[in-house]
Amino acid sequence: MWAYVVRRLLVTIPTVLAVVTLCYVLLHLTPGGPFDAERKVSDAVLANLQAKYHLDLPLWKQYLYYLRDLLHGDLGASFRYADWSVNDLVARALPVSLAIGGTAMVVAVGLGVALGIAAALRQNSAVDVGVMLLANIGSVLPSFVLGPVLVLVFAILLPWLPSGGWDDFAPRYMILPIALLTLINVATIGRIMRGSLIEVLGSNFIRTARAKGLPTRVVVMRHALRPALLPVVSVIGPLAISSITSAIVTESWFSIPGLGKLIVNGASDRDYTLVLGLVVLVTVLAVLLNLLVDLAYAWLDPKIRY
Amino acid sequence: MTTRHKPSLARALATFAAAAAAGAAVHAAVIPPGTALAARQEMVRNNGSEPESLDPAYIESVPAAEIDRDLFEGLTATDHHSNVVPGVAESWKQVDSTTWVFKLRKNAIWSNGTPVTAEDFVYSWRRFLDPKTAAKIATTYAVYLANGMEVVNGKKPVTALGVRAIDAQTLEVRTAGAVPFLPAVVSVAQYGPQPKAVVEKYGKDWTKPGNIVSNGAYVLKDWQVNSKVVVEKNPAYWDAANVQLTRVTFLCVEDGNADLKLYQSGEEDYLYQIPPGAFNALKAQYPKEIHNGPLLGLRFYALNNDDPLLKDVRVRKALSMVIDRQILSEKVTADGQAPLYGLAVKGLGAIQQTRYDWADWPMDKRVAEARKLLAEAGVKPGTKLRFTYNNSDYHKKMAIFAASEWKTKLGLDTEMDSLEFKVLIRKRHDGDYQIARHGWVVTFNDATLFLALVQCGSEVNDQRSCNKQADELIVQGNAATDPARREALLTQAAKLAMDDYPIIPLLQYSVPRLIKPWVGGYDEANGMDRYRSKDFYIVKH
Repeated sequence: MWAYVVRRLLVTIPTVLAVVTLCYVLLHLTPGGPFDAERKVSDAVLANLQAKYHLDLPLWKQYLYYLRDLLHGDLGASFRYADWSVNDLVARALPVSLAIGGTAMVVAVGLGVALGIAAALRQNSAVDVGVMLLANIGSVLPSFVLGPVLVLVFAILLPWLPSGGWDDFAPRYMILPIALLTLINVATIGRIMRGSLIEVLGSNFIRTARAKGLPTRVVVMRHALRPALLPVVSVIGPLAISSITSAIVTESWFSIPGLGKLIVNGASDRDYTLVLGLVVLVTVLAVLLNLLVDLAYAWLDPKIRY
Repeated sequence: MTTRHKPSLARALATFAAAAAAGAAVHAAVIPPGTALAARQEMVRNNGSEPESLDPAYIESVPAAEIDRDLFEGLTATDHHSNVVPGVAESWKQVDSTTWVFKLRKNAIWSNGTPVTAEDFVYSWRRFLDPKTAAKIATTYAVYLANGMEVVNGKKPVTALGVRAIDAQTLEVRTAGAVPFLPAVVSVAQYGPQPKAVVEKYGKDWTKPGNIVSNGAYVLKDWQVNSKVVVEKNPAYWDAANVQLTRVTFLCVEDGNADLKLYQSGEEDYLYQIPPGAFNALKAQYPKEIHNGPLLGLRFYALNNDDPLLKDVRVRKALSMVIDRQILSEKVTADGQAPLYGLAVKGLGAIQQTRYDWADWPMDKRVAEARKLLAEAGVKPGTKLRFTYNNSDYHKKMAIFAASEWKTKLGLDTEMDSLEFKVLIRKRHDGDYQIARHGWVVTFNDATLFLALVQCGSEVNDQRSCNKQADELIVQGNAATDPARREALLTQAAKLAMDDYPIIPLLQYSVPRLIKPWVGGYDEANGMDRYRSKDFYIVKH
């Protein structure tokens, strides 16, 4: 298995390279540049700026410089934020996104799986209907509707929590955003868990297990859960990535200084280095999460061996 | 030239200096007698967006400048009525038409205890305009200083810049041509002082909490990127006795609805700007907390004067005439912005507002005249116009209104092109547009900043319009030593330039905002919309 892990990690390199190259080209093809402002930057200042950021060099040379710095772990200087490097900005935003997105993901998986199991075991009962109703509401309500509702209830009508903002990982600022991201994901996970478990519970080997006289708890926990988790695990990868890196609506609604806000602002400011740095980060995260998902498959399904 | 103008100049300046000296005594927070202050003097202000920098040499945006004016005090400052007041300079005088002398106060000190000297300003201004610094808006302000443009363009060394320390407390500034409004120019945050030793010691990191040394009413306490900047009262500040707020938190919430929600839940005392469309409802809901002062800013549509269709002034005039600004103001934008029929906005310094004569005609007459003009120019109904704006619901609403005016009143069809902001400005600068949304807000209160919009070859004249006679009047006006004559000449210049219909003036910006009733020091008659935290105080509540 270790050989597989090493092989997968090695594949990350060309993946990142391909993504960076594509993104690099696309950014430079996009009309409008980082130095376009209401007042046209004079030619002399523009020349100075371009020299400062190596934009005066041919594109391929700029690209090679960028790759060289990237290999040294240097994501470059931000075009927009003069006092910060991209490394600084990412180092400040990533922990925020990980704290919010990561916590929400863990809670959502735990809660989603538990609700899914409860619904599957009591199929068509009141519990099942209740869970499915919640799941469907969670799925159809976008975060930009759910967010304001949470704020209205818990920050304005019942002034228990701040309606937004951030203060150095103070928990009271984290509760509502985590709740919002959890609600969105728990719906998806719960629904998939329910469907998958119902299907597994109907299969032959479960019938055999029941026929042996095993109690339901053992049948579910020992025999049904692992195979039923497979589809859940498949969605965890993409859900986790979107919770951490692209929680744009959540971040903007709660004014959280995470990666989502940087991505959006970076793109509209044409902050080339910032956008590229974030793309590299997201790519690496995506590859790693996918690897974890694949390893989890092997653990869950004895038929899969690497 | 210098001696010839001296008598009247001296008179004008004596008045200015007297006003400045008078201002010195009272220009901190003016608290009405009998006002009981709260024990806790702290305020949370949403500042609109994350500052791109706190280094005066690198700031560009209004939010960054707002924080920097708390941290760094320049030679002069603007108070909460948009008046120029003394800052580090306690007085100044114009020696001749291009030479000024600023006298620095002896008790101005940096937060580390060292005195602020004239040499600090020499260093800072040279650093700001040094081509190696590559400040994006260097030329905007370089243009006023002797050799400023040459320095930015690398044609002369930074030592050639027209600024010199005569002694520790005396700074001589030479301007490129007559700049009668220099005290206003040097109030901009970019001309704030920077501590040389600290800048050189920490490089790019000199503005970080712990490293930064500043000379303003406040010092930097905390800076959490994309979240907040916290400043605290600077005990070393020369006017600290008159500074009330001990701690100010600047938020950087961009989303208007998120901003509103923070205000409603009591997380902030000062909302940056009311989201579009919400003004009337909020006015009814918070009658005591709503403010909507006019801003020295102009909403207009730029007309590409090189465009084959718009080359003809009759077409440009017709397009401008038929837009009903009253309806635009009252029904479309509906947030208290005043209709405009000229270049100058209300409250702008050194100019009188002008107004097209047709502005007072009934709409039927305006439409008939516009149709006649189009017919004369050979433009047939059904002709296509191309309108470009940056994607926002607000601009879209205005654009649809304009297009419907052109369609229903002139029979012209409009093709709409919604772009990202950066793409729009690039297209405008490149002249790759026909009609484009535009807006202009000044950084100091003088008519020249507005006239630049229509001056021949100006870097902000995206219309590529040119009226040589108007340009000549502007030069004459700026050379005039009598403020009344200057105002008359600049007003005449604006009228002449606008008679060519280079742009379609629409509305004067306003700042719809909610402020908690316990915040004192806010003034709706502050057309610059600049607020130093030292001018605020919290009333007992």
